[in-house]
Amino acid sequence: VSERLPPHPAQRVDRSRALEFTFAGRTVRGFAGDTIGSALQAAGTRILSRSFKYHRPRGLLCCAGRCPNCLVNVDGVPNVRACVEPVRPGMRVRPQHAWPSLEHDLFGVFDRLHPLLPVGFYYKTFIHPRRLWPIWERVLRSLAGLGEIRFPAEPPGDYEREHLFVDVAVAGGGVAGMTAALEAAEAGATVALIDDQPRLGGRLLATVRAVADGEFAGHPGWQVAANLAARVASQARIRVLGEATAFGLYEDGLLGVLQGRRFVKLRARQTVVATGGGEQPPVFENNDLPGVMLGSGALRLLTLYGVRPGTRAVVVTSDERGLELALELVAAGLDVVAVVDARPAVESTPAVELRTAGVALLTGETILAARGRRGVDQAILGAVDTGARPHVIPCDLVCVATGFEPAAGLIGQAGARLWPAGPEGSDGPAPRPPGVFAAGEVTGARGLAEVIQSGRLAGAEAALGVRGPDSGRRARAAALGRPTGALEPSSAPAVLVAPLAGAKKFVCLCEDVTEKDIRQAIAEGFDHIETLKRYTAATMGPCQGKMCHRAMIDLCARLTGRTRGQTGTTTARPPIQPVPLGALAARLREPEKLTPMHHRHVAQGARFMDMGGWKRPLVYTSVDEECRAVREAVGLIDVSTLGKLDLKGRDAASFLDWLHPNRFSDLTPGRVRYRVMCDDAGIILDDGVVARLDAEHYLVTTTTGGVDAIEQWFEWWLAGSGRCAHVTNLTGALAAVNVAGPRARDLLAELTDLDLGPEAFPYLAVKEGSVAGVPSLLQRIGFVGELGWEVHFPADFGEPLWDVLLAEGERFGVRPFGVEAQRVLRLEKQFAIVSHDTDALSNPFDAGLGWVAKLDKPDFVGRDALRTAPRGEQRLVGFEVAGPGPLPAEGAAVVAGGRPVGRVTSAKWSAHLGRGIGMAWLPQELALNGALFEVQVDGVTRPARVVVGAFYDPEGRRVRS
Amino acid sequence: MSFLLDCPQCGPRDVYEFRWGGEQSQRPAPGALGEAWTDYLYFRANTAGRQQEWWYHRMGCRRWFLAVRDTVTNRVERTFWPDAAAASP
Repeated sequence: VSERLPPHPAQRVDRSRALEFTFAGRTVRGFAGDTIGSALQAAGTRILSRSFKYHRPRGLLCCAGRCPNCLVNVDGVPNVRACVEPVRPGMRVRPQHAWPSLEHDLFGVFDRLHPLLPVGFYYKTFIHPRRLWPIWERVLRSLAGLGEIRFPAEPPGDYEREHLFVDVAVAGGGVAGMTAALEAAEAGATVALIDDQPRLGGRLLATVRAVADGEFAGHPGWQVAANLAARVASQARIRVLGEATAFGLYEDGLLGVLQGRRFVKLRARQTVVATGGGEQPPVFENNDLPGVMLGSGALRLLTLYGVRPGTRAVVVTSDERGLELALELVAAGLDVVAVVDARPAVESTPAVELRTAGVALLTGETILAARGRRGVDQAILGAVDTGARPHVIPCDLVCVATGFEPAAGLIGQAGARLWPAGPEGSDGPAPRPPGVFAAGEVTGARGLAEVIQSGRLAGAEAALGVRGPDSGRRARAAALGRPTGALEPSSAPAVLVAPLAGAKKFVCLCEDVTEKDIRQAIAEGFDHIETLKRYTAATMGPCQGKMCHRAMIDLCARLTGRTRGQTGTTTARPPIQPVPLGALAARLREPEKLTPMHHRHVAQGARFMDMGGWKRPLVYTSVDEECRAVREAVGLIDVSTLGKLDLKGRDAASFLDWLHPNRFSDLTPGRVRYRVMCDDAGIILDDGVVARLDAEHYLVTTTTGGVDAIEQWFEWWLAGSGRCAHVTNLTGALAAVNVAGPRARDLLAELTDLDLGPEAFPYLAVKEGSVAGVPSLLQRIGFVGELGWEVHFPADFGEPLWDVLLAEGERFGVRPFGVEAQRVLRLEKQFAIVSHDTDALSNPFDAGLGWVAKLDKPDFVGRDALRTAPRGEQRLVGFEVAGPGPLPAEGAAVVAGGRPVGRVTSAKWSAHLGRGIGMAWLPQELALNGALFEVQVDGVTRPARVVVGAFYDPEGRRVRS
Repeated sequence: MSFLLDCPQCGPRDVYEFRWGGEQSQRPAPGALGEAWTDYLYFRANTAGRQQEWWYHRMGCRRWFLAVRDTVTNRVERTFWPDAAAASP
């Protein structure tokens, strides 16, 4: 049974603060500073999860948040890595992917059925007969996948986003990263240092032995790390992003960083990658049993949490790193019964030290298999090449320390390859991408002195890249050594594959892919590294190949008789670590635009609709009452959402003529004209009005929601054209109210000194004046077919002027009206709404607006298209539906002779007319006044009749009154 | 996509501040053949490589400019204001 070691200053657990949480319903005790994984290990829990396919028990492996073995559900959040997740009192930790329990998972039967379940088995097995596949698919879906998301009982969580800009970003807070950060900061650069641990120090934090070389010789590793971390903390130019993962390095130095619930977009001029590396587990029979642990993981448990990962350990290695790690394990208090080194003979200093410490060092051997039911009981060792002379060592822990693999994902994303593409042994270093440096063990540097040197050099060069040439900085970089112009190819030895055949030699732990599966897939023809990956799914699980990338390449190379260089690698893509989608989506909400009078509408009980990013009042009380007020008294509608473009300049007039089929150069100052704008294909883009305020000054209104695109359209045609015209978007600066109805003149006359009489202020005139003391622009236009003025005024006066209009208008029967009433009223006049009644195929002729096209003008946007456009194949016309009853939906089919021949674009009930009215696109032979046709309503057809021309006041007398 | 664009007015900014305006092309002369208009309106070279294209600084100065960008690597070679003679009529 595991237990805690005595306290030690390198530990991060605080024994004075015990706390409790639950795992699978049981209460577990831990200390502040523990992770879920360390607390469970201390409590003797070895099985943390069940494997993806065979439901085999899995326990702690990497203890660094890299492998897939400890994924759990924490308080409803799936796929949390227990080995790095700090414990909090009362947290509920649930195992995933096991039923009814981790210890007794009935799906474990798949493990015994494994000969029936080769790679790709379900595609091969369940595909015939084809018709049953949908049923099988449902069964397989329920068995597949990791974790479970429940909606909506468990909220997705709230993430926040930060944008951060620095000169130098350093990914990795180990010794190399810290020294690089210090060096760059001391040279004047601002630095962000990203590390995934609660404390800086990286691998060195977990080492208790004295450092052998360099300036820190004689000090224990964790103390060296702490000293460096203190220096980093006191350097004001370094911002440390702790417990954060740099998951992607994108173009131009953008690092994606996830820090808890915060997504940091970190833009740096220079990036130093100091992400170190780690062991890759060797491939042997039952190499996935709980108790088989990466040596570095076991060391972390021992040193950082004071938890014994086992009582009798066998260390498996093939290089000096492994021997050094074995020494660390011994120093940290682990009982190591044997160290197995694949090399034929070892006489290095660490080997001598191990023997001196009384540890059995077996050379020329490796582990052939682990045995045990729920965890390791025995290790079977034997000759490294043949498996000869097998012998058994009872143990409950196998520490694997083989095949160091640089964590080079970020460098790969930047476009560099650590593994050159040529044949093995003959390759030079890969070129370094601009603005990206590497430091420390990820470059292949070994030993503290070399790591520090590479960190300093990378920091100095990054600072040089930021601050530009400077004799002092250049001298400093030169003094530190040769330029890190290239990344060193890694010299990692091949991952060990035990010689004996076996069915449970796992290569990819995430997807339960065995050596046998790889063999079989290659035999089936998937012998390219990329196809092998896709067919077997190896390297595609939650760890993204961190535990198996190297093993798969080695196996592929070996089984196909190619070199590693010829075999190549799969492509490194972001993210390096899983990132919740919620984090990427954090704070990406569209802003809501509110008009200056918005809160008055709320107070008046308006219901709102979304239109072009705005909230607009849809209806206040009742559509019929609002319509009646406009037709019989006076109504107010907030039209602040209209796009308003101020256009000034010598060429303003000719520019408007260029942009529109219509003509504006002959518009008299003080007059307003309807505008329809087309693109070069003759398609209607937008409409509104143009008010000429002065010879060289226009105010252009656009559709709500269209203004940004229209402003861009204006600016695009201006760009480089040499025209003297300037566009200012006044949409947000001006509030606007349309005062419409037979009493509109009476109401406004109370508030302005302007003469509003029909002669002084005729239809389609514009004047500047004061309304209730507010400087305003009044245009005599409207969209509802009544006497009316559109009043534009500074947005700050939105509420006061709205209030005054309502108060003064009370005796005239004023009412605010919403978009719904406006739509009924405009339909009674058959005014089309661009992009509602028209679409991406509508030209002005078809939409009944052909009169705007002045084809006698010289060239303008859309002229050639309009000249040659086929006319009138489909026409936009008004129609009425007789009698009460449901109306066709927008988009409903128009039916003639049992065939769909057109479609409805708008349909509303007009209380004033006492019938349903609408607009529809009809073929020209039907688009005649009085023509009968049918519309589809709720699956049946209703008779309808074409009405050409306005239903209401067809002569337009009221609007001119 | 995270590259920087050097707005001639505002300096280097994140590409998300901009709207892409498509590859630059020459509008046909008035009265050109329908085919020329079809090419202009509906066909794109869709170059894999160096391309001269329009960008609009939506969240900045709200001006259009031209950029020469490698569409494969997103490396932006240069950015500049459209020339009165070379740009739209």
